[in-house]
Amino acid sequence: MKLELKKISKFFPGIKALQKVDFKLKDNSIHALLGENGAGKSTLVKILCGVYQPDEGKIFLNNIEHNITNPLESLSLGISAIHQESVMFDELSVTENIFIGNHITKPNNLVDWQQMERKTKELLGNLEADIRPNEKIKDLSIAQRHIVQISRSLIHDADIVIMDEPTASLSQKEIDELYSIIRNLKKQNKSIIFISHKLDEIMEVCDEFTVLRDGEFINTDLITNTNKDKLVTYMVGREIDQIFPKKQVKIEQEIFNVKNLYKKTQFKNINFNLRKKEILGFYGLVGSGRTEIMKTIFGINKYDEGEVFFKGKKLKIRKPNDAIQNGIVYLSEERQNLGMTGLMSVKDNINMAVMDKNSDYLIINQLKEIRNAEELQDKLNIKVSYWSQLAQSLSGGNQQKTVIAKWLSTKPEILILDEPTKGIDVKSKSAVHEFMGELVDTGMSIIMISSELTEILGMCDRVVVMYKGLVKNILDVSNTTSEEIVKLASGE
Amino acid sequence: MIKKIITSRDFILFAIIVFGVVVVGIANPFFVKPSSLSDVLTDTSILIILALSQMLVILIRAIDLSVASNLALSGMLISLLSTIYPELPVIFFILLSCSIGTFLGVLNGVSIAILKVPFIVTTLGTLSIYRGLIYFVSDGKQVYSSEFSEDFLALIHYKFLSLSFLFWIAVAVFILMYILLNHTRFGRNLYSLGGNPDAAKYIGINENKYIILAYSLSGFFAGLCGYLWVARYSVASTQIAIGFELTVISACVVGGISVMGGVGTVIGCTLGALLIGFIRNALPAVDISQFWQLAISGAIILIAIIINTKTEQRKEKTIMVE
Repeated sequence: MKLELKKISKFFPGIKALQKVDFKLKDNSIHALLGENGAGKSTLVKILCGVYQPDEGKIFLNNIEHNITNPLESLSLGISAIHQESVMFDELSVTENIFIGNHITKPNNLVDWQQMERKTKELLGNLEADIRPNEKIKDLSIAQRHIVQISRSLIHDADIVIMDEPTASLSQKEIDELYSIIRNLKKQNKSIIFISHKLDEIMEVCDEFTVLRDGEFINTDLITNTNKDKLVTYMVGREIDQIFPKKQVKIEQEIFNVKNLYKKTQFKNINFNLRKKEILGFYGLVGSGRTEIMKTIFGINKYDEGEVFFKGKKLKIRKPNDAIQNGIVYLSEERQNLGMTGLMSVKDNINMAVMDKNSDYLIINQLKEIRNAEELQDKLNIKVSYWSQLAQSLSGGNQQKTVIAKWLSTKPEILILDEPTKGIDVKSKSAVHEFMGELVDTGMSIIMISSELTEILGMCDRVVVMYKGLVKNILDVSNTTSEEIVKLASGE
Repeated sequence: MIKKIITSRDFILFAIIVFGVVVVGIANPFFVKPSSLSDVLTDTSILIILALSQMLVILIRAIDLSVASNLALSGMLISLLSTIYPELPVIFFILLSCSIGTFLGVLNGVSIAILKVPFIVTTLGTLSIYRGLIYFVSDGKQVYSSEFSEDFLALIHYKFLSLSFLFWIAVAVFILMYILLNHTRFGRNLYSLGGNPDAAKYIGINENKYIILAYSLSGFFAGLCGYLWVARYSVASTQIAIGFELTVISACVVGGISVMGGVGTVIGCTLGALLIGFIRNALPAVDISQFWQLAISGAIILIAIIINTKTEQRKEKTIMVE
């Protein structure tokens, strides 16, 4: 047994984050750690990384008991974690990010930049990554950042690699590359703890699984002994009949049309239309220009050529407010940064975009705000304990709903959703999907960018497949296969 | 590559300084005589040293407001001691000054890292405390030039390659800082700690240790400058270097040290100090009234910062190759 956790408990004021959790990691195994947001996965990971110390329980590594009291100890025991984006150093180079905390030094104790750069080149070459060692992290795509993080754990010669949602922002091709890296790690006698919300990939890549729910251990077994439905049941504690409850609606006339949109170095020949009550998917690799097109339509970025028509009328969108006034809104992928203000209350966040509508003679009418928030909170089932609760204290799913509520306040006709379910748990995800169905039923049209193929196939009517700034094809979802879409998206 | 260098912050700062020297040189040819320029460099040396040591602290998202008071207190203590024991070698006083400064710096660091008093509160507090202690130890009196031994004052005025010893000390500190920040683990970890404190914790960087070390170094150089200041101006009083911490911080900011932490170069910081030193010397040289000097310094600092921000703006990534 490579790693064994026995009866681990961790308490925070008022919260039992983990209660007597058992976890066993075998040699040469890819072990899925499953659970909804708030189930205790990240607490468990933080305990393994030495960031938290357990209040009860024991940790055994190769059958020897260890107390991991700080992150350095965890690293020296051969445990390395690949976290989500937040643990990179944006202003530092790729080389330095890989070697950080572990700089190679010359005999005179000075940092050996040349050797570090050489090793970085070698490492990135082995991973077949097209990244220059002296590039700054802030200039890299999310997929490239992941590769840098993986390189970092390779440098540490880690025995146990923890991957926290490594594929959350990657597209299919990048995910496949990541899988082959993971399988390669396994061959080198490393064990991997794999945290993901995507059940397909867990079924595909993992050997074993452990499910946590509300800080408690629920089940552990071989992947071959289970299936997706069972896993979902373990996680949510009840059956979810359909993960993608697409409501059947009758699609009406065209209301939105983009013609020959062009922006230098970004995208070219972008032509597509959107019909009333339609959900139009945008699929492609991360960095294929999907987000850039939507930001342009929404007026955040400018375009060089092309025309945008809304209900047959040519639109001139120069700034986001122009789009909002016309009933077009865009929900960013980065909900934390661009979607909401964490230090403001849920109510204030919901009303942020409609302050003028809620005001009487320039004075904000609190009653109108509360009414609006209440109505949307009801509709979206946002869980708040009290009105002034800060948005940052909500779970990922409820944060996403808050952002949606903010935009619904503006009564839009076209909703552009950029990765709306990225990194949120199964239950919230299915709520967002259900809600999308309801919205189109009331006459709204939706454009959804997603990197999750099952989501595209389950939710959309048509899908625009992009590759390197070009529209490869627009397919009818009922008339295509996932293979066809993946092929187009990888440029074939 | 060349374009990258030309648009870099450091190069722009350098260009501004050269341009300024040329303009002032046209208005007042006396200013660009080698001896005058050498005076400007001497005059800016202490600012360079303090800006570089302040940079260590700013890199980890903090600020040390107590440097000028630290400098003044260290300077006053060794001055008082030198009047009692004039026969002791100068090097003793220099080391003592550095030790006192380091001790005062450690106090800051411990207060921030261990007692968790926010850095602004801590250093604002010690700014007053250290300044207040000067009155206490000196009884509010001055130590005049005649009371110092000759050696005590002479050292920094020795010339090498017609530049003062004081300036060469600044050069040494520059080289030391360059190596420290670019070629040692300590320096690189300061960048990572300032760039992303949470992530730094994950890779096992002990934040408290670095806070204390950074403030200790800031204190050490404040102590060094305590001696340098007293020796240069041949006087130790309760008023020396009062308000100088703001000049030091301006130099850092103009030099592109981000107060958000984790960003800035030793070269940039030095150029920032040189620019401010140049402005302070050039304005009187072209006969601008005292009244305007402050306003113009302020405006130039703002302009430098605006240029910095412009060069920092991100470019879009290329998606499509045409």
